[in-house]
Amino acid sequence: MVAATPDAVAAGVRVGMRRREAETLCPTAVTLVADRGAEAAAFELVAQTIEAVVPRMELAAPGLAYMPTAGAVRYYGTEEALVGKMVAAVEVVAPRGRFGLADGPFAARLAADNAVDGPLIVGDTALFLAGLDVSTLGIDELVDTFRWLGVGTLGDLASLPRAAIASRFGPVGLEAHRIASGEDRSVEPRRITDEIVAEDFFDPPLDDFERAAFAARALAGRLLAAVAPIGAKPHRVEVEAESALGEMRSRTWRSAHAFSEVELAERVRWQIRAWVESGGVPGGIVRIRLSPADLSDLGRQLRLDEDAASEDDARRALSRAQGLIGPDAVLQAMPQGGRDPGERIHWYRWGEQPGALLDPEAPWPGRLPEPSPTLVPPEPRRFEVEWEGGFPVRVRLGTRWEPVLGWAGPWRQTGRWWEGEPAADRYQIVTSAGAFLCEVRAGKCWLVGVYD
Amino acid sequence: MERASLLTGAARVPSFGSDAPLSITAEPGRVLGLVGPPGSGLTRLGLSLLAAPSATGMVAVVDVRGWLCPIAAWEVGIDPERLVVVRCPDRRPWLQVTASLLEGFPAVLAEVPTGVRDSDLRRLAALSRARRSALVLRPVSGDLPAGVLHLRVESTGVRWEGVDRGHGALLRRRLTLRASGKGARGIEQVLEMEDDGSHAVRLVPGLAAAPAGLAG
Repeated sequence: MVAATPDAVAAGVRVGMRRREAETLCPTAVTLVADRGAEAAAFELVAQTIEAVVPRMELAAPGLAYMPTAGAVRYYGTEEALVGKMVAAVEVVAPRGRFGLADGPFAARLAADNAVDGPLIVGDTALFLAGLDVSTLGIDELVDTFRWLGVGTLGDLASLPRAAIASRFGPVGLEAHRIASGEDRSVEPRRITDEIVAEDFFDPPLDDFERAAFAARALAGRLLAAVAPIGAKPHRVEVEAESALGEMRSRTWRSAHAFSEVELAERVRWQIRAWVESGGVPGGIVRIRLSPADLSDLGRQLRLDEDAASEDDARRALSRAQGLIGPDAVLQAMPQGGRDPGERIHWYRWGEQPGALLDPEAPWPGRLPEPSPTLVPPEPRRFEVEWEGGFPVRVRLGTRWEPVLGWAGPWRQTGRWWEGEPAADRYQIVTSAGAFLCEVRAGKCWLVGVYD
Repeated sequence: MERASLLTGAARVPSFGSDAPLSITAEPGRVLGLVGPPGSGLTRLGLSLLAAPSATGMVAVVDVRGWLCPIAAWEVGIDPERLVVVRCPDRRPWLQVTASLLEGFPAVLAEVPTGVRDSDLRRLAALSRARRSALVLRPVSGDLPAGVLHLRVESTGVRWEGVDRGHGALLRRRLTLRASGKGARGIEQVLEMEDDGSHAVRLVPGLAAAPAGLAG
């Protein structure tokens, strides 16, 4: 269920509920399949009404419009005057709309969400955001991890050092921190060259939806292909159409993240349909033009053997894993200096910087040669070994005793004698079930590695 | 017999009575099972299968016991920056964690905790096919259901060289493996592989790769 009338809501239906459940609660209700194209077409009148008040309006989705207000506030005098004008105009064509005004699109959207008893004009955006839950960020894979770390509100997140968040969570985390701090997504206004345009002409003029769908897909693909070589992705795209009678229509669509081909094609299709159904392009469409209204430059230069999409996939997968089992369980490791396998590994949480390492190139006397054991218990485990004449003859593996087929050692580790640590001897012991690395310290034998 | 190609990390065995060599690799969209007790050399073999995919992308290991030593991974040629180790001792999130990794990584080596259901493994196999990710499964104990695996590799013996009665050090290991499943064209085959710690595990020449039943 994506929407319900007040009567249905009174009967208990909620957005997000499964269809069957909703129909059980409200058996006399009529269920319609959501048709976003029809919604866009129906919203066209509202969009035009808004444009009449503030010309630089942009649509994010049917029913969700954004507009920059600086110029409009100067024109109408005050924020209250602007909002009053907007509400009065829109209520006529679409009652029960919600209006929010704040610094930046993210905060404005949340202001509108919270504007239940009339328009909400936010005075102090940072204060407004601070009290909001982290789930409002809409970045599912990070939200769980943030909660794990005790970050419950945007204020909590904004109070953490940005560099630390960026190094742990990468560009997504940096974005989240900016948004939580009230500095919406910073879009580098790239110098948009005139060549970045996708345009098509239609003869006969376009007025049927199947052709429109094909045209939309083709144009979206060409536009994204045109911006790809400069490593940029559009978040706002202007869709322009020219009718057979020479009339021009234009609408800017925006997205919180960079448009994919499918998403962009969908919006172009909706817009074409909206113009056609509202009679905005009499005679049909003879030309459609897509151009980026801004470009953002997210991400770093990749190495030749790396692939942007797979970096993103891996990052999302690891963020999700962190959300499931915590950041301490998602690790990477760097080699560092040391004698035994445990010492030679510097573990660090994925997303963080490794930190200082002991020099792996320095000489480490007593270090075991390759191959290294594949499995190393985090703490040495008791290992039962039977000795005869100072040589190992049997080891206990689980419930049975295995004869020792061969062994090497000892490699003596003097230990930190100045701290009272006893010396230890390392042995490699081979049985028919495999080889083990064990350590004898103060007369007891411990398993420190399995050569699996 | 062909020597294994160290560049691809794959071991090729000309199989008895068929046209093309048997290949032990982590193939996209396929599940390979490594079955045998700890000490058999299978974890190292599993890591060496990740070496080739790690040349062009990141690889992940799901570590159930928490014992994985990445030095072994570095020794078989995996770049430390390309390896992520995800520690998941608890059976309950294991399925979701492994599934998430399959969606984001071209190759995943996962230890399988005891008590995982066959149906869950089948779901992972389907996901691996859908995402064209390679999945290598290593149960911490017991076996893996046949319907899930494209190739099942079982360890039947391990022999170390280099140690004596106190002298020397572990140098080289020979693993005897039995391969079966669709990936072995439905014929059980015995092969021997060599691991000297500094290269990807490779095939030993000179051993007859005869089907089980014919070997002594």
